[in-house]
Amino acid sequence: MDSFLQGLAMVFNVQTMLVIVAAAIFGLFVGAIPGLTATMAVALLVPITFYMDATPAIAAIVATSAMAIFAGDIPGTYLNIPGTPASAAYVGESYRLAQKGRARETLGTNLVCSVIGGLFGTLVLVFVSPSLAEMALNFSSFEYFWLALLGLSSSIFIAIGSRVKAFLSLTVGLLLSTVGLDMMSGAPRFTFGVPDLMAGINFIPVMIGMFALNEIMMFYGSRAEARSVPVMAKDSVFAGAPKHVKTYWRNVLRGSSLGTLIGALPGAGADIAAWIAYALGKSRSKEKEKYGNGHIEGIVDASSANNSGISGAWVPALVFGIPGDTITAIVIGVLYMKGMNPGPTIFMNGGGQVYALFTVFFVANLIMLPIGYLAIRASKVFILTPRKLLMPVILSFCIVGAFAINNSITDIWIMLIIGMVAFVLARNDFPMAPAILGLVLGGTLENSFMSSMLKSNGDLLAFFERPISAALGALVILIWLLPSLIRLVRRLRSSPPSSHKPRSS
Amino acid sequence: MRDFLLGLAFVIGGGVVIAVAQTYPTMPTLQFGPSLFPSLIGGGMVIGGLVLALTRVGQLRIAFAGPRAQTPRYDYRGLLISLLPCALIVFYILASEWLGAPLCMAVSMLILMLLRGARPWLSLIVSLVVATAIYLLFSRYLLIPLPEGTLLSQILP
Repeated sequence: MDSFLQGLAMVFNVQTMLVIVAAAIFGLFVGAIPGLTATMAVALLVPITFYMDATPAIAAIVATSAMAIFAGDIPGTYLNIPGTPASAAYVGESYRLAQKGRARETLGTNLVCSVIGGLFGTLVLVFVSPSLAEMALNFSSFEYFWLALLGLSSSIFIAIGSRVKAFLSLTVGLLLSTVGLDMMSGAPRFTFGVPDLMAGINFIPVMIGMFALNEIMMFYGSRAEARSVPVMAKDSVFAGAPKHVKTYWRNVLRGSSLGTLIGALPGAGADIAAWIAYALGKSRSKEKEKYGNGHIEGIVDASSANNSGISGAWVPALVFGIPGDTITAIVIGVLYMKGMNPGPTIFMNGGGQVYALFTVFFVANLIMLPIGYLAIRASKVFILTPRKLLMPVILSFCIVGAFAINNSITDIWIMLIIGMVAFVLARNDFPMAPAILGLVLGGTLENSFMSSMLKSNGDLLAFFERPISAALGALVILIWLLPSLIRLVRRLRSSPPSSHKPRSS
Repeated sequence: MRDFLLGLAFVIGGGVVIAVAQTYPTMPTLQFGPSLFPSLIGGGMVIGGLVLALTRVGQLRIAFAGPRAQTPRYDYRGLLISLLPCALIVFYILASEWLGAPLCMAVSMLILMLLRGARPWLSLIVSLVVATAIYLLFSRYLLIPLPEGTLLSQILP
């Protein structure tokens, strides 16, 4: 009880509440600008969090990411351009509704569903994480090896597009994770005589390069035309939302639970959650024909899913130290920096800090309602912010942000090189999430493998001797074999009976 | 075509990683040295790159066999312009010690704003105000030692 009250006190003070409000406004601004993602908002926030206490730092990240995901719907609704990838799934629906003069009603419903989804994901985080953590206390290096491999495998198989490209993207991240002194032997690897690289590559410059610099390069490389803002109708923000939530409460529940589950899978984030929730909602809808012409049902499903995915991604991040998405990949770094080492012990040693973290989630999601309302009312201002003025400002923040990690020019070089590599890869449809996961999980994978091999004297069968380890190993192998199995089943089903007959010639 | 070339690049990159990894010392007490993971990653890059390149060989053949007009023109001008932010980062790295961080940031922002057709007076005001604000926020409030620059070190507060 003392820990709980201590946690509440950590959040309900002037400093933390101001940080939450400021971070929500920042997230709103970044999320509402097309091309700037929630991950980028969080990455840009990290240098600022260096100078905060643990609770306000985490609060800033949670509020920014939750708000940015919702704010991505604003340009999506008005301009048919999703502010963040998480809004891309249902941008067509919301834009067509806006064309019918229902922009504010659509955004109001979006907002309410986002808040419900976020709160649902938080409840799961609060009630599921501690029991999962108790189980995780029994985990050894064998289980962590399989968990890391599971996360990396999921990132490949869940990625949209070519799996080969996702795998190659993963190898880039894994390679980056090997830079620095080897944990077992102390031998320097890929340091090229640069002393700054001995401690390894910090993932914040990598993150800034991959998401921010890459976007800036994309912007200058394209010849995007000036966008016209449709005339805004005088519809109400919250008038239609209660009715829609009441009508489609099953969709809200399904989207929220699906989003939390997908968010909790390593490698899959809010954007994948929204796509899957939208697709599932459409397939189960009684009004399928309305989809694509501006149907609120599709929005309800997906907007609940993307915000619940944000909270869901924190479950593996807190319990196992394995990020559920790119945002929690950054969060893990911040948690370490603040002395809150993620892993099962965080629930035992964290004290009031863990309760503060849970409270932050509730507050950050609830505060979305008033701030989101004001944002919808004033949304034209966000949309009209010219990117030609904004992108150069972001570039300056990128440079200073990368430098601020270690006060080192080397980090600016790393950001630059990674940004250029990411630009080439992204232009050729290579997904970026596997690379980030590779960088974050590479160390865990290698260290747990090496420790396990030392313990078992090089016996690979030891990876299957412990029950949980064996189950996780089987799951990883199943994920690897799943595409082939699905293809085989499809081929068997589609092949006509005559094809089994021997050919006459 | 680009996928084919990228596949080849990964094959070459993977080969280099494996070659460099072989130079790492092995510890007598350890069964697996520091070269194991880099070698596995390099192997993965070689295999993945080969698969990517080989699956695009058919497309490559069609592209070469088909009429020249069908192959889309690559936007080299766009590519060059997209490299400008990188060039400005290099400019910052090389010149900030002498010119100072605020001036380097202001110049970079001004160039980028003018490039996309922003009004010159507005670009000038925004770049100067933002550069000063970022400098003051990071160096004075967050105590990040951003380079003041030998040129303006006497003028800045």
